[in-house]
Amino acid sequence: MSRYTMIRTIWMALVLSLAGLASAFAQDAAAPTPPASGDFKSLDSDVQTLKKEVIDLNRDLFVLEEELLFPANTQVAVFVSVDVGTYFALDTVTLKIDNKEVTNYLYTQREAEALLKGGVQRLYIGNLKAGDHELVAFFTGKGPHVRDYRRGATLTFNKGVGAKYLELKVSDKAVKEQPEFLVKEWE
Amino acid sequence: MSGSTRPLYRLLLTFLLASAAVAHAQANEEPAPDFALRTMDNQNLRLSEFRGEVVMLNFWASWCGECRQSIPALTDLYAKYHRAGLVLLSINVDDDMNRATDLVRGLKMSFPVLFDNRKEVSKLYKVDAMPLTLLIDREGVVRYSHNGYRLGDEEQFLERLRTLLKE
Repeated sequence: MSRYTMIRTIWMALVLSLAGLASAFAQDAAAPTPPASGDFKSLDSDVQTLKKEVIDLNRDLFVLEEELLFPANTQVAVFVSVDVGTYFALDTVTLKIDNKEVTNYLYTQREAEALLKGGVQRLYIGNLKAGDHELVAFFTGKGPHVRDYRRGATLTFNKGVGAKYLELKVSDKAVKEQPEFLVKEWE
Repeated sequence: MSGSTRPLYRLLLTFLLASAAVAHAQANEEPAPDFALRTMDNQNLRLSEFRGEVVMLNFWASWCGECRQSIPALTDLYAKYHRAGLVLLSINVDDDMNRATDLVRGLKMSFPVLFDNRKEVSKLYKVDAMPLTLLIDREGVVRYSHNGYRLGDEEQFLERLRTLLKE
């Protein structure tokens, strides 16, 4: 290969790789032509419509994904709620279904406050076949007199054909000045 | 190949490698997986609660020399840029938390130190070498990742960090 041909090959390779890089950045680099001032209003409403469509599409995709991943006939969902919370500050919930740990959730201060304000959290969603199952939930946190506190709650439930919804409920037992942990089946 | 064309080939090779690196960095921009961990002060912190801030994650262990070496540089960086919106979450992966606690106190680390004793977060972030430093932008996307530490690496962190803080 002559020296000229070699140099020409190198330059061609350089130009080609530059073109490749340019195409990678093309999306960022391509600035839209500024619209005339009168068009700003319609452009703004177009953007808003587009944003709404994206949000709608996201919601539909989310629902579709859930329906595919957790079909209603095998779906089990576990929710957490906290009522009052004078005698217990929630820190962690460990959930076991049929003696297998399915989640271990740490609550931040914000999340614990949201639960105290009446929020209900979906702690777990999964699939279970029809039949009897055992759910065990361990709650850790600060109990009365700000002492470390750990309690468990158990429920044996029957999973039928439809989806099953269970609620882990933390409430106060004022008479005993102790927190109470319940597992409730939603009808 | 003649001696005069060899530098040109080197230049070409460097250029091609650099373009590949740029393409690779772009491909790595993925949403940072969310997690919650307990801090040394017994607080629970969740990554998604820092959305809107620039977050630096640093995975380390007390037995890792490079990790210990990087901590003073990170402490300086945090002291300087904390007010500008930098959140630094230092994630310790030691099996024995006491060793980590001693080191944290010894090195006077001023940023939150989180314990990943179940190693779940390390798996989530595919930590295969330490220290691993990641920069997450205000949208929650991993924009920079760096394995290991050598003196002077903080210059790279600083450069990337300043870009993210300006966005």
